[in-house]
Amino acid sequence: MTQLLYLICGGLLLSSVMVLWRRELSAIVRLLVVQGVLLGALALVLAGRLDSVELVVVAIGVVALKAVLVPRILRRVLRDGNEARETEPLVNVTASIVAAAFLILLAYAASRPLVRLSPSAETQAVPVGLAMVLLGFFVLVTRRRALSQIVGFLLLDNGIAATAFLITGGVPGIVELAVSLDVLLVVLVLQVLTARLRTTFGGTDIDELRELHD
Amino acid sequence: MSIGWALVGVLVIAGLGALGAVATGSRGRALVAGVSTAGVGVFGVLAGVSALGGEAFSKTIPQLLPLSEVTVTVDALSGLFCALIGGVAVIAGLYNIGYSDGHGSRTGQSLLPLFVAAMILVPAAGNVTTFLVLWEVMALVSLMLVLAEHRLRPSVRDAGVWYAAMTHAGLVAILLGLVLFASKAGGESFTALRDADLSTTTRSVIFVLVFVGFGSKAGMVPLHVWLPRAHPEAPSPVSALMSAAMVKLGLYGVLRVGLDLLGGGPRWWWLLVLVAGGVSALFGVLQASVAVDLKRLLGYSTTENMGLILLGVGAGGMFAADGNRTLGSLLIAAGLLHALNHAGFKTLLFLGAGSVLRATGLRDLDRLGGLVSRMPATTALFGVGALAAAALPPGNGFVSEWLLLQGLIHGLPGADAVVAVAMPLAVGVVALTAGLGVATFVKAFGTGFLARPRSEEAAGAKESPRTMRFAMLVAAAVCAGLAISPASLGPALTRVLEALPTVRDGSPLEGGVTLRLTGIAGSISPVLILAGLFVAGLLVVVLVRRGLPRRESLVWGCGGTRLDPRMEYTATSFAEPLTRVFDDVLRPEHDVDVTHHAESQYLIESVRYRQRVDDRVEAALYPPVLAAGNKLGAVLSRLQNGSVHRYLALGLGGLIVVLVVVGLTA
Repeated sequence: MTQLLYLICGGLLLSSVMVLWRRELSAIVRLLVVQGVLLGALALVLAGRLDSVELVVVAIGVVALKAVLVPRILRRVLRDGNEARETEPLVNVTASIVAAAFLILLAYAASRPLVRLSPSAETQAVPVGLAMVLLGFFVLVTRRRALSQIVGFLLLDNGIAATAFLITGGVPGIVELAVSLDVLLVVLVLQVLTARLRTTFGGTDIDELRELHD
Repeated sequence: MSIGWALVGVLVIAGLGALGAVATGSRGRALVAGVSTAGVGVFGVLAGVSALGGEAFSKTIPQLLPLSEVTVTVDALSGLFCALIGGVAVIAGLYNIGYSDGHGSRTGQSLLPLFVAAMILVPAAGNVTTFLVLWEVMALVSLMLVLAEHRLRPSVRDAGVWYAAMTHAGLVAILLGLVLFASKAGGESFTALRDADLSTTTRSVIFVLVFVGFGSKAGMVPLHVWLPRAHPEAPSPVSALMSAAMVKLGLYGVLRVGLDLLGGGPRWWWLLVLVAGGVSALFGVLQASVAVDLKRLLGYSTTENMGLILLGVGAGGMFAADGNRTLGSLLIAAGLLHALNHAGFKTLLFLGAGSVLRATGLRDLDRLGGLVSRMPATTALFGVGALAAAALPPGNGFVSEWLLLQGLIHGLPGADAVVAVAMPLAVGVVALTAGLGVATFVKAFGTGFLARPRSEEAAGAKESPRTMRFAMLVAAAVCAGLAISPASLGPALTRVLEALPTVRDGSPLEGGVTLRLTGIAGSISPVLILAGLFVAGLLVVVLVRRGLPRRESLVWGCGGTRLDPRMEYTATSFAEPLTRVFDDVLRPEHDVDVTHHAESQYLIESVRYRQRVDDRVEAALYPPVLAAGNKLGAVLSRLQNGSVHRYLALGLGGLIVVLVVVGLTA
């Protein structure tokens, strides 16, 4: 069971780093699907370990939202536009991977006190969640396309969800529901924003928004 | 009625009133807002009176605030302030019905009951989070009320900015102080803070921080700059609420934290309070005595009176720290009594000024005058308030200032060096303040209401509607009650002092008709003073009538027969001697423009004279701070170039720095 848990966490981390590596936007969306499934599996494994029925429900919800619904919205955004690739990230791919290595190191270093607090199998894996948060933030900072921004945000949210699962066995159901609705809403809003950007500027490079600065 | 239900009543009526005022059209809005404000006030008074009667109330509502809980605790000290605020709110609410009839803005009217509710609940807070949340709600709502008339005058915006900046600077100081207190005490409920065992240094840091914060709310010099701007620019019922009720919460904070939660402390704390109070009293009354804007004058007078109250509290705290509880409790009781009296007469005066403003559109005393024949009721009621504010018998301000002087004078025998220097100076400050206060209010009443009108607006003034006069009459009745029977407040004040462990000592005031001080020789009978004045007045009238034949003729006009309103004393000319005497302090700006005739420079066509008295404390202290703030703002605005990536990078950078620090230190 512990091995399975670590395998899932390794998969989450790997998929996060691969988001930085791949430039094909459709491939990145596929990675998000994988990550959603892995997150659901994580919840299921924890449900088995903690004997919690609520977590099973949460797992189903997570898969439905993050592996089915959100990717579908993202594919629609992709289909409407003509930008299939993240052409010129602010930091190139090689440098991004190096930076990701540093961020993961940082995550492990910073969560040492947490792990020391109660060194169980779940807490040992907490740094993975923190690393996902940092990587998501990194995507937000360095990628230009509006779709990449959504991806970065989702990565960040997945990281938070993973951390919550690992530390406390998931937040209370009502909070989980609220957060999920928030995520869905943000994705929808960003989808609209992307469409507006495209009609206004012809592309979805969010640095164009600088023109709105007073 | 139990305190808990009264507080529920406060909340319910405030909520309903606010919703009602939003929902009604412009015609009924002032009525809804006024009645609900008065209703909130009634429940505030009920809660306060129950608490002053000895009832205590404590309730904790968990999970209403994130990471904390709402705790409500009402003791006699809270009760006094609940009752005071409630009383002012009843009068201001009634007044609002007539004052804002037909033209009150939706925002302004619907926020009025909420403002009063927030103010009543601040002294009922029982832990740090609840207190700070309510304090901030009160500050924000009052800010919006100050801005209610921003469409009419551009100066409102300026006043709003000053008020917002100062009230938040004050909040930061209070927040730092109380958070430090709670973290060192290991709990945030007031009970935990009371039982905390802290070092003297920590206590002193906390006290100075909260004193700065509460002092700025109380209009203490040099943090008073917002007060003479915001109070005049707010609609008049709001001015009354702010000046009579809200500033008192600064006093509440000093008493609650200094004397109750921190339990007294070393003598220098209270010397600091005393000095700040004395400086505020003097500076406030000086500025008031030369002010020409009626509401600005009243605003500075608030600074003066809060200064006197703080002076009393400071002196009381000093004596209590020395172990002289008799004098300590007497002086603090004097301060509290003056707080009540000030609330009474300042409400009346601001409402009077509001009536004048409503009838003439003027606040400039130089252009008023002649209102006595046009607005007789308002004039008479303003006169009552002016008499009280001037601290002359038989006004209610006299009694509390007399008490203050008694306490200060009796502190001298057997005193050490600090007290021996501080007390005579304090007596001098109180005496000078009282004297200048008389001049101020003679000016306000004489040039504002008597003689002939100096402008068309003043000449066309009409008496205010009945509800406004009634509200002012209630305020005047409260003042009269406080003036005639201050001794009846003795038991209530005793209970309040019992809530302050370091000064608790029997009852400082006793008696019925005659007010007796316990512990020191001193008694005063306001009723006898009133009777004496009445008899003397009657005698003068009778003797004059009998002795001399009446003759009617023109006032001597230096040989001229036509007296022009321009020959009258204006507020500026009345204050001219004072301006000269205090020239070094006030530094008035004079402008004399002489225009010569085109043909000959020996012939003068016209002379213009202008005088302006600016706030010197403000002119000296604030420009450097503002300049530094602007410079910092210019530097920081370079960070903001509109790139979303840069903002996100700043966020990531901050997160990484925090994580690195955590990783290194853990």
